[in-house]
Amino acid sequence: MQNLVQATYSGLVLGSIYALMAMGFTLVYGALRFLNLALGALFTLGGYVAWLVAGQWGLAAMLGIVAAFVVVAFVGAGSYQAVFRPMIGRPGWDITTIIASLGLGIVIENVILIGFGPRNKSIPLLLEGGFRVGDLLRVQYQQLLTLAVSLVILLLMGLFLTRSRHGLAIRAVAQNRDAAYLVGTPVHRVFAIVMAISAGLTAVAGVLLSAVFFLNPGVGLAMGLRGLIVTIFGGLGSIVGTLYAAFVIGLLESYVSMYLGARWALPALFAFLIAVLIVRPGGIAGLAEEARV
Amino acid sequence: MNGATNLAPILQLTGVRSGYGDTEVLHGPSIRVGDGETVVILGPNGHGKTTLLRTISGLLPLRAGEMTFAGTPLTGRPPDAIAGLGVIHIPQGDLLFPEMTVLENLLMGSYRAPAWARRQARLEEVFAFFPRLGERQKQLARTLSGGERRMLAIGRGLMGEGRLLMIDEPSLGLAPVIIEELYRRIGEIKASGRSILLVEESAAHVEELADRVYLLESGHVVREGQPNELLADDALLRTYLGVD
Repeated sequence: MQNLVQATYSGLVLGSIYALMAMGFTLVYGALRFLNLALGALFTLGGYVAWLVAGQWGLAAMLGIVAAFVVVAFVGAGSYQAVFRPMIGRPGWDITTIIASLGLGIVIENVILIGFGPRNKSIPLLLEGGFRVGDLLRVQYQQLLTLAVSLVILLLMGLFLTRSRHGLAIRAVAQNRDAAYLVGTPVHRVFAIVMAISAGLTAVAGVLLSAVFFLNPGVGLAMGLRGLIVTIFGGLGSIVGTLYAAFVIGLLESYVSMYLGARWALPALFAFLIAVLIVRPGGIAGLAEEARV
Repeated sequence: MNGATNLAPILQLTGVRSGYGDTEVLHGPSIRVGDGETVVILGPNGHGKTTLLRTISGLLPLRAGEMTFAGTPLTGRPPDAIAGLGVIHIPQGDLLFPEMTVLENLLMGSYRAPAWARRQARLEEVFAFFPRLGERQKQLARTLSGGERRMLAIGRGLMGEGRLLMIDEPSLGLAPVIIEELYRRIGEIKASGRSILLVEESAAHVEELADRVYLLESGHVVREGQPNELLADDALLRTYLGVD
């Protein structure tokens, strides 16, 4: 019972980070119809920006999160202008963009490796300490903060997409690119904004997770895979589906780690994804078109 | 020539060629819309009417010829920049945002900066114009009927405060009552002084509306003239539009 409660709690915390990460994939896929495999490396880059700001320069850890978002958002928008924009719409662009994003991710990871070395680093915790709930549960303040930051960001994203002019434009471009053009939406600028936001969300996920575990140039790979699993399970491009999927995957991973051992987590997630896709090829939200970006 | 053609052209197309892939659909028609004029292009389906509008709004690349709007060349401009000049393309109802509400679709019509600031006033106008849209403002666009979609497309066009409205076949596939209502509304838009370029397959509703008419067949302009001459010529209409 104690294990179950603790694993459920950890799963929800993990799920909230996966939700940020997968939202990055989902926004880009929804609007541009391409899977940005560089997001794993941007996750890592976010962690390093926060480590520089908070760990090395000794500034407030919250500032590290903000800096990670801003810096990595610029990298995301820049990668769109320099790498992806010239490809989109050309013959075979759906494949070339995926390969290019994979290559871009490898470049970013290696730049990090050259710049910061291979050794593990740790980002100072935003909040130290925690409390116990009887014998059932150990709660770290850091975990609560992670949950809170993730949920607030997701809520703000929801408001942005439904209430603001640029948010409406993102959904418009995702739903019908020609129609968006006809009302005067600068489609390529909207794409750059989407790439920036998705990179920024991923970077925040990187900071939050690296503050709990540790940071090295390779951490993005496993996270990128988890982000992909969540995104595909959630029905590629469906925001609501992605949110559900993030928490399902977070809980599943947490239970598997608790009862079978952490080494089984990723294999179990992939086995689960394959099983789901055999039954529902479109993921959990794939059959219902509503709530696409 | 007649009086209407003396108006300074707001839209001037010269020898426009365009199409899809290897197929050229428009073989160089020249068409002109005067400032404040309502021009109707009649032609059978599949002879280039929609292609013409898509070329003007920049969704299709111009292959040869020239297009200017209020003296500004349109060639090579992306569609969002052309919309920004005030050229509003009102599609047949297939180019809406299906997973957005009626209200959100309308707001997107005001996306460009100057119109965005006045979106509330425009919304009230559109809802007064098409009360049905006001009743359904929370409904997703994909759940609307064909007539409501057409109203939404026109409403979204009105939100953009354009100088030229290009309307693609308002009557297509709609019940006669709804067609009459739509054409009454388009007449009111005309009365407000805006320039209109409207394409239609059928001559049935356009005689009172049009200042000038072009017949477009197989990608060529085959006739141009006043509606009362052209539309009274039964032999001509039989030949080109297949009506009796």
